[in-house]
Amino acid sequence: MQKQPNQMLWQGVYLAVVIIFCSVVYASSKHINYNWNWQRVVPYLINTEPQSVRAPFDGTAKVSTDDKTLTLVPDAGGEPVVVKKFSAISVNDGDLIFEGDQVATISNWRIGPITEGMITTLEISLASLVFAVIIGLFIGLGRISRNLAIRQLCITYIEIIRGTPLLVQIFIFYFFIGTVLSLDRFTAGVASLAVFTAAYVAEIVRSGIQSIPPGQMEAARSLGMTYVQAMVNVILPQAFKRTLPPMAGQFINLIKDSSLVSVISITDLTKAGREVVSATFAPFEVWFTVALLYLVMTGALSWMIQHLEKKLAASD
Amino acid sequence: MHLQNAEDIIIAKDVDKIYPNGCHALKKVSASIKKGEVVVIIGPSGSGKSTFLRTLNQLETISSGSIVIDQVDMYGKNTNINKLREHVGMVFQSFNLFPHKSALHNVMMAPLKVSKRAKSEVEEHARALMKKVGLAERMNNYPSQLSGGQQQRVAIARALCMKPKIMLFDEPTSALDPEMVGEVLDVMKSLAKEGMTMVVVTHEMGFAREVADRVLFMEDGELLVEDTPDKFFHNPTHPRLQRFLSQVL
Ligand SMILES: Nc1ncnc2c1ncn2[C@@H]1O[C@H](COP(=O)(O)OP(=O)(O)O)[C@@H](O)[C@H]1O
Ligand SMILES: [Mg+2]
Repeated sequence: MQKQPNQMLWQGVYLAVVIIFCSVVYASSKHINYNWNWQRVVPYLINTEPQSVRAPFDGTAKVSTDDKTLTLVPDAGGEPVVVKKFSAISVNDGDLIFEGDQVATISNWRIGPITEGMITTLEISLASLVFAVIIGLFIGLGRISRNLAIRQLCITYIEIIRGTPLLVQIFIFYFFIGTVLSLDRFTAGVASLAVFTAAYVAEIVRSGIQSIPPGQMEAARSLGMTYVQAMVNVILPQAFKRTLPPMAGQFINLIKDSSLVSVISITDLTKAGREVVSATFAPFEVWFTVALLYLVMTGALSWMIQHLEKKLAASD
Repeated sequence: MHLQNAEDIIIAKDVDKIYPNGCHALKKVSASIKKGEVVVIIGPSGSGKSTFLRTLNQLETISSGSIVIDQVDMYGKNTNINKLREHVGMVFQSFNLFPHKSALHNVMMAPLKVSKRAKSEVEEHARALMKKVGLAERMNNYPSQLSGGQQQRVAIARALCMKPKIMLFDEPTSALDPEMVGEVLDVMKSLAKEGMTMVVVTHEMGFAREVADRVLFMEDGELLVEDTPDKFFHNPTHPRLQRFLSQVL
């Protein structure tokens, strides 16, 4: 058994290559006098800066005896404003206050623009994924239909979508179809991603169905099931399992492709990154962060699908 | 030649089958099968036995001729083929169990989805059938956990759970290891004893001799001989049957 030492050796080689690569990145940034400052990115992820509370009118401040509530009484009469849960207070009881004065600060956590962009990316990806699966399933089934018209329509769809760049499709969806049907940006973005991904899902569905031995359909039909019943109860459940790995790849592509919708001014993770770069002048940190966040999303998805695959392997 | 008889549950008349690739698999095949009859079809490989069997539940459509199952013209305008198939069970050479379902659920699926029978009644029926084919202990196993002979017995139970009037068998023991052939044939024999109408394509001459009411011989898409097993095996008159028997016996 000579295997063990070899494994160790190559594990070491792997680590060495990774470390060398990182050092090269670091050294080259030093070479162009880049100052790494990760601190600058943090507020764009989570903003923990205290928020100041300003007086909405001229009036008087009343601080309760236990220092827990601050009441602002307007001079002009009307409802007083009560401020609670502040972290610091900058007025005393009975002080006169003027509109716009800072009276207290509240510590709170707000998500920053990068996180907001990531949420938008997740929303777009999830919505497109759902529609892509539904459309792709029907196109895939139509692709193997016995009806010539249906079959050819589905083939045409798949060929057109797979033969043109997604970026061009997004523009067509937004500027042409979007204008005709008056779609908003988000809908146009989701629609173009769904239609694009559906073409690939359709091919995955088709090959999944065709990988099931024809005897399965025959057995189901011989028991009196209709074509649809046989598909739903016998063929698709088996095909589903086989299509999971390629589907996972396609869904990961979908998350990454969603970065292209930033061209129609949807503030997804990529566009948020671009905006934050121009505000912070920390392009390296921001882009590395953005890349890491994409990696987290795609990694989580691929983990979930692997988990599902293991669960479904029970009958094998 | 074939009188239309009320007892005939299967009447095939002048059935021709030409596959899309031009292969002429059935040439004017006519046969009538009575209720409760066990008919065995034998013949060399490629002679059209499977094709003929599969036309009887329309897994293959025919090019010309007619097929009447239980008084229903299979190609009639108002014939619902799915309805017709419910009463014609089929057992395949390669079992074709549904691998994603346990044995019991393989048996229960069609009655639940197609016949819309009550779940409790179907489950009771399915359990009884599993017991009947000798697999009471293996109900919750998946097909991949069963031997070939066990899988084929589940497949028979699955077809029976639809309460068919006719059972078609296409070489049910050909894919089995020799030691498992007996257990499947035993199930088929007991089914024959109960009066099930059966059409069996097989190379098991012993089964044909013992169980069949009639034996048909096919070659090159033609039905050449139909006779009682006794005459078929001991007094064959057709020269091509004589040649075939001398090769296999
Ligand atoms: N799906 C098919 N397409 C074209 N030809 C076929 C098909 N199935 C069977 N055949 C041909 O029809 C003939 C009869 O086949 P089959 O009924 O399977 O014979 P058997 O079951 O007696 O061995 C063979 O010549 C075979 O090649
Ligand atoms: Mg055959």
